[in-house]
Amino acid sequence: MDENNLVKMTLTVNGEEVSMMAKGGRRLLDFLRDDLHLTGSKEGCGEGECGSCTVLLDGHSVLSCLTPMERAIGRSVVTIEGVGSPTNLHPVQAALLDEGGVQCGMCTPGMVISAIDLLQRNPDPTVEEIIEGISGNLCRCTGYKKIIFGIQHAAEELRSSGRTGMVKEATR
Amino acid sequence: MKLRGIGVGAMMYGLGYGYARPDFSATDIELAPDGTVTIWNGASELGQGLTTLLCQLVAQELGIPYEDTFIISADTGRTPDAGPVSASRSTYVQGNSAIKACRDLKGPLSELAGELLKVDPDRLIYKDGLVQDQEDPNRSISFHNLAGEMHKRGRRVRGSGYHNITTADVDPETSQGDAYASYAWASQLAEVEVDTEMGLVTVLRLASATDAGKAINPKMVEGQIEGGAVQGLGFALMEEMKVEQGEFKNAKLSTYLIPTAADVPMVEPLIVEVFDPTGPYGAKGVAEPATIPTAPTIFNAITNATGKRVRSTPASPERVLRLLGKLEEEEEETQLTFEDMPYPEP
Repeated sequence: MDENNLVKMTLTVNGEEVSMMAKGGRRLLDFLRDDLHLTGSKEGCGEGECGSCTVLLDGHSVLSCLTPMERAIGRSVVTIEGVGSPTNLHPVQAALLDEGGVQCGMCTPGMVISAIDLLQRNPDPTVEEIIEGISGNLCRCTGYKKIIFGIQHAAEELRSSGRTGMVKEATR
Repeated sequence: MKLRGIGVGAMMYGLGYGYARPDFSATDIELAPDGTVTIWNGASELGQGLTTLLCQLVAQELGIPYEDTFIISADTGRTPDAGPVSASRSTYVQGNSAIKACRDLKGPLSELAGELLKVDPDRLIYKDGLVQDQEDPNRSISFHNLAGEMHKRGRRVRGSGYHNITTADVDPETSQGDAYASYAWASQLAEVEVDTEMGLVTVLRLASATDAGKAINPKMVEGQIEGGAVQGLGFALMEEMKVEQGEFKNAKLSTYLIPTAADVPMVEPLIVEVFDPTGPYGAKGVAEPATIPTAPTIFNAITNATGKRVRSTPASPERVLRLLGKLEEEEEETQLTFEDMPYPEP
């Protein structure tokens, strides 16, 4: 770290190598949004309560507002931008749309990432396990029901096609 | 001990602003040469589905596929003033203005279609992508071709709609009068479990019946009902703004708790459709109506379970334990009870 507090950020973001000098000592969320302009991850509360900044770090969900950016050096980050595309949605995204589990969209990026994290660990979750899996993600609009059903349908869809929730596999 | 109880709550709600407060919306639409239609409306999409709804209404009114409609929403440089998105007024006011814009555009459309088909323009109907003579369906022109002809001949291809539901004020002396343009109704039913040791209230089941007038998009109405009930549940059991000297003491999600997926039951939505002749295709607003009855419903269920009545929101564990006599009474601000309210002489 030099006197300007610059750090070399070398990591993989959404499957692409990133290597750049960046102002250090910030949160991973700031690095993703301000430096890489990946504004899909939202800052809801900034104190780890709402889950809307959730990203995958080496395949596991973390709250990017509580993660120092330096912790991502040498590792792999997946944000909502790296999960499916408008023409090739991840089954979780498609199911949330079909079911009506999206309203204002503030929680949706974090909710999708948490659901993917859950389905990677547990491809056949019960309703209770889904509720537990997303209990760290606040939603003010939907009442959660359509999100829970959406995740359930995405799990069925993935199992019936023999895929896991892994981003690369699910959007193949 | 765990006690169970059932409660019912109901409400009526005046849609829009009422009381002579300005309440209007404007929408413009424009027909492209390929038969697609662009809608300009100044109301903000908040996630409730307003843009979807306006496209649905325009598609229905012009008899064209939903995919052929596009919307430019809440662009202050280009969209006409549609008023705010609040007071559960969007479907009702903005929807009506979009329908009026379509009917305005149908004037020149029907005129040209009448000329081309040699039919009285008043006999033309718009459906399935066709403009056809309702008495002789074989005399028709596709909406797509008609749009092209409109442009070739330089006919007017824009339509504007303005809808105003500003009501008269009530009598200043008696407060009597019809304050709102329309009213919505809703009722809810809940079963709760009260843990008398912990003071914790769990809502086991919650059903919500909301009068939508006409559910233009049933899935979106369900979304409003389910989300509204969960917000109401938070109001009933968890949410309390603490204000001291005008300053919020708990303006954080770690201190102002709202329901998580683990705090709520699967809300059972019930859409009631009582046609409202003043609404777009009979529809009216459902947003706030779906939120309002929840707290009284849950409070009634708590009373049914414990025989005691919570007088202020939220019914937090502390308050419930105090109610059950398990915590010492704390000096609480005196709450007006219903029995204390002066009842107006008829």
